Amino acid sequence: MRAIKAILLRNLTAFSRDKMRFFFTLFMSGFFLFIFSFVMKAAATGIAAPMNYLISGIIIMTVFQSALNNSMNIIEDVASGFMKEIMVAPIARWQISLGQIASATVISVLQGMLIVIIGLFIGLKLDLFHFIMMGVVMVVVGVTFASIGLYLATLSKNSSTFQVMISVIAMPLTFLSGAYIPTTVLPGFLRPVIYLNPLTYTTSAFRSIALEMDGMTEAAMLHNGTAFDIGGFIVTPHIALTIVVLIGILFFSLCVQRFNRADFSQVKVFHRRHR
Amino acid sequence: MSKIIEVRNFTKAYGDQLAVDNISFDVDEGSVFAFLGPNGAGKTTTINTLCTILEKTSGSLKIAGHDVNADKAKVRRDIGIVFQESTLDSNLTVEENLALHCDFYNVPKEEVRERIGFALDLVGLLDWQKAMVKSLSGGMKRRVEIARGLVHFPKVLFLDEPTTGLDPQTRANIWDYICTVQKQKNMTIFMTTHYMDEAEICDKVAIIDHGKIVAFDTPSHLKRMHTSDIVKIKTSDGIGLQEYLRKNGIAFSEKDNVFIVQSGSITATLELLSRWKDSIIDFEVHKGTLNDVFIAITGKEIRK
Repeated sequence: MRAIKAILLRNLTAFSRDKMRFFFTLFMSGFFLFIFSFVMKAAATGIAAPMNYLISGIIIMTVFQSALNNSMNIIEDVASGFMKEIMVAPIARWQISLGQIASATVISVLQGMLIVIIGLFIGLKLDLFHFIMMGVVMVVVGVTFASIGLYLATLSKNSSTFQVMISVIAMPLTFLSGAYIPTTVLPGFLRPVIYLNPLTYTTSAFRSIALEMDGMTEAAMLHNGTAFDIGGFIVTPHIALTIVVLIGILFFSLCVQRFNRADFSQVKVFHRRHR
Repeated sequence: MSKIIEVRNFTKAYGDQLAVDNISFDVDEGSVFAFLGPNGAGKTTTINTLCTILEKTSGSLKIAGHDVNADKAKVRRDIGIVFQESTLDSNLTVEENLALHCDFYNVPKEEVRERIGFALDLVGLLDWQKAMVKSLSGGMKRRVEIARGLVHFPKVLFLDEPTTGLDPQTRANIWDYICTVQKQKNMTIFMTTHYMDEAEICDKVAIIDHGKIVAFDTPSHLKRMHTSDIVKIKTSDGIGLQEYLRKNGIAFSEKDNVFIVQSGSITATLELLSRWKDSIIDFEVHKGTLNDVFIAITGKEIRK
């Protein structure tokens, strides 16, 4: 427990000291918030509470990106050599993973909450119950994508190409998740990609809360893109959330397994950069 | 004396390249042990395997009775490591780095403050506790790493090239710190270095070249076995001395009445000097060094 807490606090300290990084992540989210809420408003026609629809997508993408990036920060620890200090310490490998994932989750949820608060000023409408529910889903999403990020980081052989690779993969997944552009307006041939994209389910689960769709019919959910009909099987937001949790568990176990055998001494580092 | 490190037939291969080739050795508890050899000889590979971050290809390695591959957690608790490269968190202060280390090694909470003070005092950095690591000089960072390696009182402290790239004064200081704490805590020190003079303080050295141990002994015994004293004599009686050296079969070279004589022992040196004391204008005695031992054994100068 002590080691997990120590890793968590160390990562939070590092994050709080890196003012530029904090500013730029916030700036990015703010930028998307501005662009999509004002420019894309027209695309969300026919949906009740369009601001909730759009802002919820931006919030959850912020959480996703922040969780992914912050857990991948271990690449920088590998580059700076600090990873070796952790690897030779008498800490169980699952504790290292958990500390790393916990800190990425805390940071991403805080950022998500910040967007919620900004959102409240520009048209997001929420009651307390749904606000708390949002928080819970943010934690689930944070843990899942921090696990994925950490797993990917343990696979990397080369820090700079790895970061480029992640941006290249994350970008289309973000746009094919329905977070910014409703999946219902995307062309049909992209369906398989959309259904394979974990972000789709993330967005669906989160958005259903933002839209307060607790009692909505399946047909209505299919219409606004928070439920999906995959070959006759209806994926409701509840199932979507379950899928996200399962993905999270899968990648967390993979992380621990990787950490048990990880040999970070072979990672090549060409330059360090801030994200 | 009990053996704290036991290595038997240890081999490590990268692909078909043998980095360490079937080596065996023991290290006594409470001793200072050095691995000498050029870069790429297999020193770091051995240290990293002993430190549980590299898997062996074959053989058996034990620290304090625990197998390094099977009992990683127990081995990790017993060792401290100062790596070749910096492994500090530069975004934290000196104190935070050490406190983090104490958390990792489960140092009793009530002792943490005192131990950090002890370790930083030892390396002379008590006044720098609150400084950010990134603001320190290279030598200071090294000292922080050493303090950190000591703060959990390990049974064995590994030092992989701890003084590479440091100025001579800092190097000397670092060895002072290490020796002080070694004596205080009866710690075993396992170090690698390619500075031969640094290995003189060791109880035992192993010379490793191309993945094999080519010599394993005390520094003084190695020097006695593999080197001879060199006596440089300037004399006014060149002909007489030359004749004497020839007659006694002592190896020498001569130029302008300056003789370079190889002497087998101190007694022989004293005898030579006292016999010719009337005609000797000047003399110097060079003792053999570990570097000479290395050249004698491997047939080449240490590659840096």
